[in-house]
Amino acid sequence: MFLKNMAETKKFYLTKKGLEEFKKEYEALKGLRIAKTKGEVPKIWESEDLNPEYLSFQEDLNFLETRIAELENIFKSACLIRHPSKKELNIVNLGATVRVKVGEEKDEFTIVGTLEAKPSLGKISNESPVGRALLGHKIGEEVVVSSPIKAIYKIKKIKYN
Amino acid sequence: MKELVNFFHEIGKLKSKPRRGWVINDIKNPESIAEHTFRAAIMAWVLSNRRKNFNIEKVLKIALIHDICEIYAGDTTPYDSILPRNKKKRAELMKTWPRFSNYEKKKLAKEKYKREKRALEKLISKLPLNLKKEIKKLWLDYEMGLTAEGRFFRQMDRLEDFLQSMEYWKKYKKPPQGPWWLWAREHFDDPVLLEVIREMDNKFHKHKKPRI
Repeated sequence: MFLKNMAETKKFYLTKKGLEEFKKEYEALKGLRIAKTKGEVPKIWESEDLNPEYLSFQEDLNFLETRIAELENIFKSACLIRHPSKKELNIVNLGATVRVKVGEEKDEFTIVGTLEAKPSLGKISNESPVGRALLGHKIGEEVVVSSPIKAIYKIKKIKYN
Repeated sequence: MKELVNFFHEIGKLKSKPRRGWVINDIKNPESIAEHTFRAAIMAWVLSNRRKNFNIEKVLKIALIHDICEIYAGDTTPYDSILPRNKKKRAELMKTWPRFSNYEKKKLAKEKYKREKRALEKLISKLPLNLKKEIKKLWLDYEMGLTAEGRFFRQMDRLEDFLQSMEYWKKYKKPPQGPWWLWAREHFDDPVLLEVIREMDNKFHKHKKPRI
């Protein structure tokens, strides 16, 4: 088996919402870093919008620094997913929410970049076999994903937010 | 020291807790959560060895602690909310991959997260502060994919499951492999792990192809 060197220096495709969330988190963490040196708790940490788990960073400066560096690395290689033109609205591209029928079952996926992928929440990566196979297809088309078993994904609806 | 011994005693219980995914498939002598953790850690170490700027120590620690919350939270599967009591109906359900609306997906994920976080906090509550903080942050990294290592191990964990499912399928003709493949092709995107999956397919499905 051939294993390549896999540095995470590739492009990170992000939705507008995803990029905004990362930026918000970054600003909050930077605020926290400054406040920690002064022994204060910044106001942003009282905001309900902020993921309560970020509060864990409050306890640990190393964790805070690691996450800040991670976010900076993401921004350096970030590539914003653009909204498609009117002509392209019926084609599955990055950022599309696709309603499909797989056999007798219905499902809905949003095709995102690897950083935003959360398959258990319906966000699948453009680099996953199904995400890759759906890209470029239109409503009504059937996409076959095989090896080793064959499954047909029939595209019922494509939506862009 | 007393609190550390209590902690070691508690996590030792993972050695005798069977994984629920195999129990609901009626697998004879199913592996324990600790057995899953053991191989997932080795696979994570070996498969992350060739990556640049990758903290293998962190990956290994994430591997070791990722399921310890299950001592109190229990193991969960995507089938739990729709699982029939009737054995025949259950076996039929195992031939399908459960699909939910996006609302249900979010609800189930949120419930699972809350349950496991509470369990983890209970388990580590009496540990020395530094250790408690480290375990919590490693677990959050795994759960939320905060760093490259956390994101990698999230998929790595599932790869070990997938390998185990193929081994059971070869031995017992269950669990049905169709749903596993449907799931895998939507979940994995790491190129190295996808390459491993292709090799697993060659090894286990060379003579008999799985069906949906």
